[in-house]
Amino acid sequence: MNLAVGLHHFLLLGALLFVCGAVCMATKRNAIGILMGVELVLNAATINFVAFARYNPIFQVEGQIFALFVIVLAAAEAAIALAIVLNFYNNHLTVDVDTAEELKG
Amino acid sequence: MALTDVLFYLLAAMTGICALAVVVTQNIVRAAAWLLFTLAGVSGLFFLLGADFVGATQLLVYVGGTLVLVVFGVMLTAQSPFVNMRISAAEWGIALAVGLVLYGVLAASFLISNPKGVGDAQLGREEMADSILLGQALLGQWQASPQGTMSGLPADIHLRNRLAVSYLLPFEIVSVHLLVVLIGAAYLARAKRRRLAGPASLPVDGTDVSPPVDGQEQPLGAQT
Amino acid sequence: MMELLELFGEHPGWYFVAATLVPLLSFVLILLASAMWCALRPFRGTPVCDALFNLFGGEERGRTPAYVATGAIALAFVLSLIGFIRFTAQQSQFETQIEQSQRTLHDLRTRAAAAQGKDKDELQEQIEAEEKKLENKEKMWESARSYAWQGHFDWLRIRPAGLSDPDRGTALQLGFKIDSLSALMFVMVTFVASLIHLFSIGYMSEELQPEVEDHQVHTRYGHLVRRGRFGRFFMFLSLFCFSMLNLVLADNLFQVFLSWELVGICSYLLIGFYFERQSASNAANKAFIVNRIGDAGFILGLLILWTNLGTFHFDEIFHRLRAPLTDSHGGLQLAGRFVRGDLDPAGAADGRQSLKYSPNGAQVVLFPLPQDRAEHYHGVGPDRDDRVDVFDSPKKDQHGAMPYWLLVAAGLGIFLGCVGKSAQFPLHVWLPDAMEGPTPVSALIHAATMVAAGVYLVGRCYPLFAYEALLVIAYTGGITLFVAATIAIVMTDIKKVLAYSTVSQLGYMMLALGVGGWVAGLFHLLTHAFFKALLFLCSGSVIYGCHHEQDMLKMGGLYPKMKITALTMLIGVLAIAGIPLFTGWYSKDAILAQALGFVYVHPQHLFLFLLPLGTAGITAFYMSRLWLMTFTGKPRDEHVYEQAHEAPWTMTVPLIVLAVCSVCIAWGWPVYDAEASWLEHNVHHAQHHAVLADFGNIDYTVSKDHGEYWVVAKKAEENERLYAYYNHHLAGNLALGLVLIGIVFAGLIYWKRILDPAEAVEQFPGLHAFLMDKWRFDWLYSVVVVRPALVVGSWLAWFDLRVIDGIIHGVAYLSVLLSKWDGLFDNSIIDGLVNLVGNATYAAGARLRNVQTGFLRSYVVFLVVAAVGIFMVLAYFVRMAAAG
Repeated sequence: MNLAVGLHHFLLLGALLFVCGAVCMATKRNAIGILMGVELVLNAATINFVAFARYNPIFQVEGQIFALFVIVLAAAEAAIALAIVLNFYNNHLTVDVDTAEELKG
Repeated sequence: MALTDVLFYLLAAMTGICALAVVVTQNIVRAAAWLLFTLAGVSGLFFLLGADFVGATQLLVYVGGTLVLVVFGVMLTAQSPFVNMRISAAEWGIALAVGLVLYGVLAASFLISNPKGVGDAQLGREEMADSILLGQALLGQWQASPQGTMSGLPADIHLRNRLAVSYLLPFEIVSVHLLVVLIGAAYLARAKRRRLAGPASLPVDGTDVSPPVDGQEQPLGAQT
Repeated sequence: MMELLELFGEHPGWYFVAATLVPLLSFVLILLASAMWCALRPFRGTPVCDALFNLFGGEERGRTPAYVATGAIALAFVLSLIGFIRFTAQQSQFETQIEQSQRTLHDLRTRAAAAQGKDKDELQEQIEAEEKKLENKEKMWESARSYAWQGHFDWLRIRPAGLSDPDRGTALQLGFKIDSLSALMFVMVTFVASLIHLFSIGYMSEELQPEVEDHQVHTRYGHLVRRGRFGRFFMFLSLFCFSMLNLVLADNLFQVFLSWELVGICSYLLIGFYFERQSASNAANKAFIVNRIGDAGFILGLLILWTNLGTFHFDEIFHRLRAPLTDSHGGLQLAGRFVRGDLDPAGAADGRQSLKYSPNGAQVVLFPLPQDRAEHYHGVGPDRDDRVDVFDSPKKDQHGAMPYWLLVAAGLGIFLGCVGKSAQFPLHVWLPDAMEGPTPVSALIHAATMVAAGVYLVGRCYPLFAYEALLVIAYTGGITLFVAATIAIVMTDIKKVLAYSTVSQLGYMMLALGVGGWVAGLFHLLTHAFFKALLFLCSGSVIYGCHHEQDMLKMGGLYPKMKITALTMLIGVLAIAGIPLFTGWYSKDAILAQALGFVYVHPQHLFLFLLPLGTAGITAFYMSRLWLMTFTGKPRDEHVYEQAHEAPWTMTVPLIVLAVCSVCIAWGWPVYDAEASWLEHNVHHAQHHAVLADFGNIDYTVSKDHGEYWVVAKKAEENERLYAYYNHHLAGNLALGLVLIGIVFAGLIYWKRILDPAEAVEQFPGLHAFLMDKWRFDWLYSVVVVRPALVVGSWLAWFDLRVIDGIIHGVAYLSVLLSKWDGLFDNSIIDGLVNLVGNATYAAGARLRNVQTGFLRSYVVFLVVAAVGIFMVLAYFVRMAAAG
């Protein structure tokens, strides 16, 4: 492993962000915290896309385009998720997701 | 070790540490702040990779839009007793272990599997597609997407047909999707009467559900 | 409309078809109206349905069905009359010309026999020319007849598979064939039926009431009270008239059989009209079952004919069986007879065999049909080739052969059907019981028409009866007429006497047919229909007037009370007794003359003359007894006498009309000449030449004495027709003497009361009881048929109960046992397995539900773990693939 930055480094960073996002989702009881975890996961994916765009000529255009799509969809997702959270708050007077356990088997 | 490498390590360190901090911190406001830095670091990485347009979009949409949205969400639902939002240490342990395993698997897959041809041909920074090319690609010009492998089209398809496809349709779909989502979000998050929690709460819509005093029930439609 | 007129103009046979269909239409109308009435009755509350309900009769049904049915049959009568007049006109025109021609021919032949030399040659030429003319005339009449008075269409055609040719295969046809016999039958049946319909309107008027009390049915709550059945009665009458007319109309045996069965079912329905009465329903059953026995024979005969001849068409059957009159070389010696022979085993070759003529051979030659056979044609017989090639399955232009005994069997089978329908000797038991039906029914069915069907069919099928079959017919008729007449002497029920007299008269007809008196038998059928209908209606009038009292022992002295009925009935009695100038005289004398002629030639069959001769006296006796007991003397029962009254005009008018007919329907000119009856001459036109071939001499030589072309032997050869012709007056005078004796005897006993019938009964108690028991036929059948059947039935029932039921019970028990075991297996093993799976699933689900914590966080953890797992598994496989 050399210190010269290559594709691996970006992928490792993306993986780190992905894992952080996942762990964030798994450990937060606050719904907005979970939303943040999702944002982290999506960013990890974006990093990968853009890194591939750079390091693989096949994805020269596609990589960036997909990164853009991901960003846009993330924005949409954030808007919806926040709306849901607000509704949730309206109904439960809290954003603790543990109170939403109606789907329990 | 070139300047770009140094910059990468700096930015990567900032991003990673901030992301970890988002996970670790229990204060949601602080988490939002850490997230801000994480996202900013990611946009820096994009600039570093030469993807100027994506980096700028990241800053504008994420840092400027989404995060503000998140902060607003935090403020709208802010409550004093954050203490009881903690989770048990066992759950922490499980989450951490699973996270580590996942990271191990991902990292191992990059490092051990040694994928051939990936990362060998590095583009020059100036060769990265600029915003004009991206715009053309989004508008469906086939020259802007010479390989077209990820658009789902076979490589040898007749050239003229590419004009109509490429990324124009996904672009339009995403646009409409965004619009629908915004309208839907506005509808979902509209101001409603709060229903108070607890069994003893009164109905909030103001209808009187107490039974008639004389116990005499009027037949349906008799009053009209 | 114009087309219809043209149809009737060109094919006047359609008058008769229309006359047949009109009663059917009336039946359908009444049936539909009744059906609508029944359907609407529950809904008569609503205004629309109530209006419709009233349209179809309302609560008071009224006489409409009677008017429809009577109108229909009257219309049929008018149509038949028109058809009859047109047919007779056309026929007499041709017949006159033919007769003229024959007369000339006869003269020429006589002169030629006497002439010499050159004159003879000249006369010979003239004879040939005249013969040609005669032949042309006959051909013209033949073609005119088949064009205007015949027709048929395929009703059902059975084709071999794959053949689309419409003329191939075998067809069941419906058709009509009018000759003077069927035309006369049409007029007779429709006329009598019209009068009986009219009579019924009065007689059945009780049935008009919504509630009729039947005094002969006793229930726990008293007499039976039921709804009136006026419409139903006339509906059945219409159907009956249709069936009878269709039977007369038919040109093939199959159609006859259809109508035959329809007539049977109508008779069943009408005899059982008061079906609540046990006796009536028994009588209906008896009539039906006895007729079934006859019909079994009929079907057998049909099958034999169909198998051997492949056709039911009368003309085709007769052409096949009877030798042609002429071939290319002139008249045949065996013309019109069966030609018998033996198959020569030597001459057999692919599908054909050689048949050698012999007078008593085992086979009968089947001749090719005249329109299909070759231009130059040789007959078979002693004066022609004595050999002919017969084919195994002959086409229409080929000779064939069938065993003679089968032909006899076919004839006997068809005759058995007629025996059942016409109530002849072994199967006559149903007719007296059938008097349980309403009296008009007795008149219509059991006097004028239905029983006539059997006689009519024997007459129609005459050419297919072999000599042996005819002898059986003659003896059956002879026995029947005597047995029935003797029973009639002692009967006291007025309708039963008439029933037995009907049986007896039908015996006369059968006898006549059997001994070659084809014309005489069918002539008697026609005259008998009138006077027997008259007698039955008179008895109906008496019964009606005496409030349904049928026993003559309670009547007497009724003449002042019902003069019209008494006088008309007297005419009927005189007619049936055979007093000169009444219709019965002409026909009965003809029968007796024929029987006498037959006995002259065959002296061993002497009884065939003695029986009818003696019975003529007996007939006169019991009919006189009937009239005298009913209308003269002192009233025997005051109650009946006081209530007796004359019937209304709807009932007396038919009586008067029928009485007039009974007197003069058979008259000819001169009236006193027994052989000059116009009716007889008319029937004579329809006579098949086979009758002449069998019992006379088939020769168209004209008798100078009478100017008629019926058969007188050219040679003084012995034959039955000749003797009958010369001894007509002898037979008639013998019979007349006996008739007078019978009448005087009856007058002495029942009018002057010089002799007491009770003494006679005491003198011969055994004979009286025997006759009262109707010769013990019912007892005989009970012993021979019914009781053995019951015993065998009880054996079968025992077998059924013990053995069959035992087996079934055993099987059932085994099944139950097996089912129990199966149930056990099902409950423990199959259900156990299913439950095991279910329980296991349930337990697994119960465990797994713990995983569904409902906490978002734990789901994320699961998700990640699953992703890692999938990733590792995939990696493992990828490495395996890379390695291997």
